[in-house]
This record gives sequence, C-alpha cells and structure tokens, in this order.
Amino acid sequence: MINAFLVFNGQGQPRLTKFYTQLDTSIQQRLISEIFTLVSNRPAGSCNFLPLPPLLAASSTSHTSTEEQSDVPSLVTYRHYATLYFIIISTTTESPLALIDLIQVYVEALDKLFENVCELDLIFNFETLHATLSEMIIGGVVIETSLDRIVAGVRAQGTVAKRPVNEGRSTIGSGMGIGGNFAWTGRV
Amino acid sequence: MVGHDMSWASFHVLEVMSSPKYHQKRVGYLGAVQSFRHDTEVLMLATNLLKKDLAATSPTVISLPIATLPHVITPSLALSTLADLLPRLNHSHANIRKKTLVTLYRLALVYPEALRAAWPKIKDRLMDPNEDPSVTAAIVNVVCELGSRRPKDFLPLAPRLFELLVDSGNNWMAIKLIKLFASLTPLEPRLVRKLLPPLTNIIRTTPAMSLLYECINGIIQGGILDSAEDVAGADEIATLCVNKLRGMIMINGDANLKYVALLAFNKIVLTHPHLVSQQEDVILECIDSSDITIRVQALNLVKGMVTSDNLVPIVSRLMKQLKSSLPSKDRRVPGSSANTPETESDDEAQTAITAPTVRDTQALLLPDDYRIDIIERILFMCSKDNYSSVLDFDWYIDVLTQLVRMSPVPRTFDADTGALLPTRQQVDVAEKVGDELRNVAVKVRAMRATAVRAADLILDQLLSENPVGHSLSSGALRSAIWIIGEYSIQLAMPDDSLNALLQAIPRIGKPDILAVALHATAKVFSSIAGSELEPWTAERKSRISLLLARILDVLEPLALHPSLEVQERAVEFIELLKLTAEAVSGQPPSTDENNQEPPLLLTQAIPSLFTGWELNSVAAHAQKNVPLPEGLDLDEPIHGNLGRLLSQTDIVTLQSDEADDFEVYYHQRPPPSSISSSAPAITRLADPDDDTAGSYQQASEDSYLDADILARRKAERMEKNKDDPFYIPSDNILRTSTPIHNILQNNNGPALDIDSIPVMQLDLEKIGHTVAAPSRPRPQPRQRVVVATDETLEGSDSGTGRQYDSENSTLPKARSKKSKQHSLLQVDSSTIGSFSLEGNPSEAFDYERQQREEAEMQQAMKEVERLRLEMQRANERIQMAQGADVQGVVIKKKTKKKAAAKKAADGAENEGTKVKPKKKVKKAASQAVEGGGGGGGEDASGAPAASADTSGTPPAKVAPKKKKKKKVAPVEEAEVAG
Repeated sequence: MINAFLVFNGQGQPRLTKFYTQLDTSIQQRLISEIFTLVSNRPAGSCNFLPLPPLLAASSTSHTSTEEQSDVPSLVTYRHYATLYFIIISTTTESPLALIDLIQVYVEALDKLFENVCELDLIFNFETLHATLSEMIIGGVVIETSLDRIVAGVRAQGTVAKRPVNEGRSTIGSGMGIGGNFAWTGRV
Repeated sequence: MVGHDMSWASFHVLEVMSSPKYHQKRVGYLGAVQSFRHDTEVLMLATNLLKKDLAATSPTVISLPIATLPHVITPSLALSTLADLLPRLNHSHANIRKKTLVTLYRLALVYPEALRAAWPKIKDRLMDPNEDPSVTAAIVNVVCELGSRRPKDFLPLAPRLFELLVDSGNNWMAIKLIKLFASLTPLEPRLVRKLLPPLTNIIRTTPAMSLLYECINGIIQGGILDSAEDVAGADEIATLCVNKLRGMIMINGDANLKYVALLAFNKIVLTHPHLVSQQEDVILECIDSSDITIRVQALNLVKGMVTSDNLVPIVSRLMKQLKSSLPSKDRRVPGSSANTPETESDDEAQTAITAPTVRDTQALLLPDDYRIDIIERILFMCSKDNYSSVLDFDWYIDVLTQLVRMSPVPRTFDADTGALLPTRQQVDVAEKVGDELRNVAVKVRAMRATAVRAADLILDQLLSENPVGHSLSSGALRSAIWIIGEYSIQLAMPDDSLNALLQAIPRIGKPDILAVALHATAKVFSSIAGSELEPWTAERKSRISLLLARILDVLEPLALHPSLEVQERAVEFIELLKLTAEAVSGQPPSTDENNQEPPLLLTQAIPSLFTGWELNSVAAHAQKNVPLPEGLDLDEPIHGNLGRLLSQTDIVTLQSDEADDFEVYYHQRPPPSSISSSAPAITRLADPDDDTAGSYQQASEDSYLDADILARRKAERMEKNKDDPFYIPSDNILRTSTPIHNILQNNNGPALDIDSIPVMQLDLEKIGHTVAAPSRPRPQPRQRVVVATDETLEGSDSGTGRQYDSENSTLPKARSKKSKQHSLLQVDSSTIGSFSLEGNPSEAFDYERQQREEAEMQQAMKEVERLRLEMQRANERIQMAQGADVQGVVIKKKTKKKAAAKKAADGAENEGTKVKPKKKVKKAASQAVEGGGGGGGEDASGAPAASADTSGTPPAKVAPKKKKKKKVAPVEEAEVAG
C-alpha cells in the first residue's frame, strides 16, 4: 500500500502532505526534511527511486521475517517537475514503475483541472489538490488510475478555482495561513 | 497541515465539518484528515456527524466521511460506523462503491470483525461481470493487499482473478493481479502451469514496461522458476527473464529500468546465482553508476557473486570510489547552497510543472552511511568463508591499512535526534577494519610480519596525524596496539614501536584501549629487554634502566585512573617494573674479566608472563560445546568453612610444587583428552618469505592506495623478485643494476668494459625472450598461505552449524534480532493476520472485551497513583506538623519501596484481581492497622506481608492511615518506633 504522498517545492516547503498512517507532526517534519535532503542531492539522470531516509531505514532493518516485510515502507519514489517534487512512500506490494506512472497521472489530472498548472495553483487551491488525490488514493489503496474519471470526479465536487491573471500576485508569500486560503475560495 | 501542528484547532475543525454548506464541510473534513489522530478528543464528538454524513443523499457529501475514515479510524469508531458503511457498497455511484470498499479494508485492519461482515458483499462485487471495471480494479487492489497477508483465503477466487488477468486491458490491475498470483502460487502449484502461457504472452507482447517488469517479478517471486515439474520449460522461462532484465540494464539512459532490473536480480540471486553471475559485466558497470540508489542495489548483488577470481577487481572498484570521494566533504557546503536560490521568485513559481526538467550535474557526494556500507561490504566479501577468496594477503593487508585511513569518523551522538538514530552509526567502522587486521594476524601465520608492520604503520600515522594534545580516537587503534604487543617479536624496530606506544598512552581516551595499550607496552618491553643471550654490558644496563624509567614515568599517572581495569593493570605493571628496575641497578655489569648474567627477573620472569601458548582464534560458539563436568554444582559453596580458610591465608607459605603445576599448565601442552579435542588448525610454515612466491601487479592499485603504501609495495616486490628469472623488471632498473651487473662491477672494478663480456649478452637475450611472455595469460598462483580456521570443540553440531569466520559477518544478524519495534508509517496488520474469514464467529477475537479489560487496568493504575500521591501529601503534612520526624520518614520510605518491589513482582499474576482493588484495599488496610499497632518498626514489615496477595494498592493506603493516627499522638509513636 501507499504510506504517504508528499509534494514539496525546490526549497523543501511542503505543498501537500498526506500520510495514510498517523504520525506526529514533528516526525512528519523530520521525514520531509530528510527526504528533501536526499532528493535535492540527486545527480542528473539518476533513477526515480530514493534510498530509504534514515528515519525509515532505521526501523525497516530490524525486520527480518518476510511476513512483515510487506507491511514496512520500503520504497520511496519521486518525480521532479519544474519547481516541485512529488514523492510516494510505499511498501513492496506496489510496483515501482507503476508508481512513477501514478505520479504522472496525478500531475496530468492537475494540469487538466487547472489548465497549465503551476506551483501557485497548488498553494491557493490546496483543496483541489487533496480532492484529486482522494479520487485516486483512499486510505493508501489506489482506486482509480484513469485520467478522465479522476478529473470528472473532482469536477463533480464543485468548480475548480481559476487563477486570476493580475490578482494575487502581490500577496504571494511562502507562509500563507489557512484563513487566507479560505477567504480566497470564498470569493470565487 | 503541511507539516505544521494544528491540534489546537481540532474543535474548530469539527465545527466547520458540521456546516450545512458543502464547501465549508469539505474544508472541515480536509482539516480532520490532516490533523485528527486516534487520540484526538473531539473525535468522540465526530462519530455522530460521520454517521449522519454517510447517510446523506448527495454522493459528494457521502464521499467526504468515507475518505476521512481511514485517517482517523479506531476500533470503537469502526464498530459504530460499520453499519452505516456496509449499505454504501450497493450505492448507485461506482465512485462511492469503490471508496467504500477501500475504507472497509482499512476498518478491517483495526477491527477484523468488519471484514467478516463485508467480505461476502465484496466477493459478490468481484464476481459480478457487469460491475464497473474501475470498481473491480479497486477490489483487486484491496484483495492484493489482503492477499499478501493471508494468501490461502483467496485461493477460491483464483479462477475469477485469472479471467480478469487474461481479459482486462487495465495495466494497473494486471500488475496487481500478478502480484497477487505470486503470493498464491506457492500454495497451489497447479496454478503455475495455468499462469505461464498468459504471462509469457504478456512478456512478449506488452508495450508497457511496468507490466513487463511485474510479469518477470511475479515469475521470480511466485517461485515459478524453481517449480520442478517442467525443467526444460522453467529453464526456458528463466533465460527469457534474465535476458529481458539484461536488456533493461543495457538500455542507455533509463536509470529506472536499471534500478528495477537490479531489484529483480537481487531476488533471483537467492535461487539462481549462476544465472545472475553470467550478468557480472553489466552489474559491475552499475557499481560505478553516479546514482547511489543503483549503486546500493548493485552492491547487494555483488556481495553474493564474489569469488576468488573477481574479488580483486571488485574491491579495487570499491576502493577507488572511496578514495575519490574523500575530499568531497569540503565541497559539500557550497554545493548545496549554490543550488537553492534564497527567495522564492514569482516567475519560478509560475512556470508550468508538467515538463520534467533536467537538473544540473553536481559533483557526486558519497554520504558517510554509504561509505560505511562499502567498507563493511569489502570486509564481508574478503572474509567470506574464512578468507577463501583472498589470494594475496599482502594486498589484503594493504587494503585494510588504506581502509583505516579512509574510514569516516563516527558521528558524535546527537542529543535531540539521538533516540531515533540507528545503532549502526555508533559502531565505529574503523574498529571493524582493525578487527579484520587482527583476525588476519592471528589466523594467517605467514602474514603475521606484514600485519605487524601494518599495525605499526597505523599507530605511527595516527600519532602524526592528530596534533599533540588531541586524544586519539580511531577505532582501529585497539587492534593495532594489540597486534604490536602480541607479536612484538616480529617488530622490525621494537624500540621505535615502544616509543610510539609510550607517546600514545597519555593521549588515549577510551579506557578499554588504554588497558590494551598498557599490556602491549609490557610485552614490547619484555621482547626488547628480555634477551638472554645478549651480554650484560654496562651499555645494556644503562639502556634498560633508561627504558624502565621512561615506561614508569608514563605508567605512574595511570595508577589513579578512574577505570578500574586500567588502574589494576597499571598498578601491576608499575610494581613489576619497579622490582625489575631495582634488580637491574643491583646487578653490576659484566666486565672483561668478570662475566655477569643479566638479572633473572628481566630474562626469565617477565618474558615468561607473555610467552605461553599462542592465542588462536576460537569460534564464537565454542564455549557452548564445552561439556559440563560431572558432579559440578555451581550452587554448592566452594568450601564449607571459607572464613577460616581465608584467615589462614594471612600466613603465607610458599610451595614450590604449586608453581610447577602452574608451569605445566601454562607452558606445556597437555595430551589431548576426550573433552577438549581441539586441534589447532595452523600448519606451521617454515619461512613466510620463501612461501610468498606468487606475485602479480594489479593494474589499478595506484588508483586507490595511498602513495606511501604503494611505494612500499613496489620496493618489496622489487626486493622479492630481484633474483627471480621469471620476473620482468622495469627498464631502468635493468640497465643500471642487474644483480650480475653489480657482481661484475664489484669484482672487476668500474674501469672494465662490461658490455664486452659475453655473460651480459646472455642477459640481454633473456629480455628478448621474456618480452613476449606476458601476453600469454597465466593463472594467478594462489599464495601458499594457510588460514587457520576457528577452533571449536567437536561433539555437538548445534554450535558449529554456523561456523562463520569473521566477527564482522555475524554482526548484522545479531543486530537484526535486536528489536521488533514498529516501523514508522507502517500499518499494523497483526490482528488481521490471525483472522480467518471462514472461522467460527463465536470463537473470534473478542476485541471489545480486551478493550474493556485494558480500560479497567488503566483505571486501577490511576487509582494506585492517586493513593500514592495522597499518601505523599499526608506525609508532608505530618512532617510540617512535627518538624523533622526522622524516623517517620525512614519508615515510610521503607514501606513504599517494598511495596513498589512487590508491585513489580505481583503485577503479572494479579491481573484478574486488579479489577476490584478497592475492596482489598480496605481489607489490607485494616489488617495492617492491626499489625502496626505495636509501632512503626513492626508496621514496616507488616505492610508488605499484607500486600503479598494484593496488587500493590494496600501499602499505599496503609501509610496515610498510620500517619493519621500519628497525628493524634505523634510524639509517643515516634518514640516507640525508635
């Protein structure tokens, strides 16, 4: 199953974190920063799989029996698009190559919803981000991989906010609070 | 939210969740997903809301709680929402159906009973050919997850699953089906024959690389390769798979395929090592890949493939990597900061993210963990099967020396992250390298001299590298010092080594290394000074007195060392050496007419301390095989009247017989008895230098060994091959200083024209012959070196079953056993693992009852804690009232301590009685009050006795009661107690 789906930008600021098992916030932060360190040091042309970050490696080496092996997160797949990194942490029951395709499907779905998606869209429409993800993955299990159905599912939940051309540019900040986002969707 | 704590907002989230407006509700649910935990208190309040929204009419509203439940699920929540979720499996929207069934799966993970109710419906959905394909795919995903835990429950579904595999066009589902079948085939071998045609068909036809890979992976994991039924067919399919995988690695530019192919190879290598070793060339390429993920996978593979033929090239590659990555530490800081612009610019954020970008190349940095990993693997590969793969121990020792220099410094313990750091980082890898060197020195007798020289070198280098005043911290130090001490006879320049040791001792930080160093000093001293044959001249006398004074000077501060081990050894040696110094000064030097013997203490006593039996390596489990002598009872007192015996020892009577017994035991080999049939496997070799005839030049040595090691190697090689007619010396040496040349020059004088002598022409002719020689490959001669095996006792097979040779190779296993803690992010599925779908509901795992019992336990524990606090407060009050009532305090403390001990002891068996602690408290309390009437002293002993059959609550209760009584008449009570 999929244990976590993360999106963060080139500076390591998370844009989407979805953990399918509960974790303390401090551990979430550490995991994200560890993965970011790994991901940002990748040379060009390297593969889309990361070695396990220390946090995960420490706990997974202690398991030897094959029975438990299928439950331990042991695969970190990432993809890099422009300013964003998309990360999936999963167990061995997922296929590594298929996960790469899954990230591609996710990004394509976002692209369809936002029309030429960029990082700003993800900042201001984080609900759409989550809604799209929950059309694809529920509780760590993939439920849909068809692009059209995903897009249709998200659209059925309401209109997707479009990015205005001139507005909002001046208010870009890295640490937008929840309140600000809420007001934004209220206006649309 | 995105990595920030928002637990403070839990209640507000709940409020927004209950909003009637969909948009607000959606935000609320999103907040719940991101921030609620099992222990979030408002979750209790949310249960009704979840149930209500599950029954809503709008499909978009229904899917909100469905998507939220997996994130917040607890057993009780699962119990209450199950009834609302189940009907949603028949919802008209396919979207709701598939989300519901995944949520039911997550429910089942914490509350297995949910699966019993849901499974028939899920099965119906799966069997229904008219079902929406995406719902079927979701069911397959869920079944695949379940199947990896309990494959045998899903065998009956095999026909339907097979149908789906053949018919469906959905690649994702096909991948999952293959994964599922891979876990089913071991249970049902007949499936293999059925599966092979469609799988090979997919392998041959599919355009999707992921599906192709999963097919191969499925074939490997499902054990289809080694099914015995059809050998020819299995071979054919195995070759097909391996060839496809090889193709994946060969494809240029796609690193992902390389990675997954290596993953698959790693699985094949367990069952079919020969198939993988055919692919050695491509795999070795991957070791040098710029991508660490790929490297690690390739390393894993190589570890299993190593033989005596390819060991040297493989280790050379790895060493080269290590060496080239050394200066990278300094580059790290600018490298990372240059890559990240400081501020987030608008334009950057505006660029479309759909096109994957190529990042600029960065210098390859090897993290320390990876380098430790490499070093460990080199050690593992070389020491495998008792060094059977190592042909040239000279080379191996040089590699080890180099590794000591390259070992990363162990990280200092990090206080705030320390708890979660893996233990391996605390193990100094240099120590392991040192241990290897020691192993070689002990086991390979012929190489001892070389190993000693290497140890000497390591010590010298550590001394010169670390500035004066800094402590020496390398983990290899201990082994190096031990080797120098143990084999001090082989030291080239023992005086220098002793010097180095004496310099090192004040700078060694760790007490265990210090203890070894003390011993080594004494050993080296005895080998320098203990010679019997050397005449006792005035010069020797003064030299030895000087040496003694120096050693004593260094050792004396250690007599007060905080570590007992160090202190003891230091005191022992100081006393011994002082005695020796006296003896030395007392013995007049021999003159021409008067021949004096050196003092016996120096030539006999001290050397005899260290020249007993040679130490051999003993297998880790040998101790287990020592049979217990008959009639040995360890509980029996050693002597009935030990006290008298001890008092007798004050009168010392020296018996010479006893000394002889010791002499016999320590210095003479006993006849082999039936118990210890240990025969040291070392076959003694005459002269190491004559035996190490084989030599060859490793082309790339200079790329990973340091210059000084290289120079030494070269000189040695030259020295060794000087007289070897088969060795081709390099040109310049040949011209100037052939041995014959030298001889002639010496004999005839420089004036003679050497070239006119016919002998020289012969020599030149030989060059012509031998030039052609190297083109013909010669098999590398195996050095005639005997590696001692670990000694162990025969008789029981249990211990010797895993007769592994190197300590290092056994280390990881020991570590892996250590803990069974749960991994981060891991879903605990242990409950569902023991759950059977076909089982009888009545004997099912009663989760609720367990919960109830746990709650009661907690209640009882709280009660105990409350009473304890109450007691403490009462005690404080009394103290305030009485001033300082010393006795009262003492008594009270005693009671408490004993009660705590009792509590620990009784905790296990009293689980049942804990449920109703209150009643017993009263009973025990009254009992104790009766018993405690006599006074505090009696009370202290009476209370624990009363508590023996209770759970530890009563003594806590006793104390306050007693104290209350004291309040009435505090003065008398205290007196009685005294």
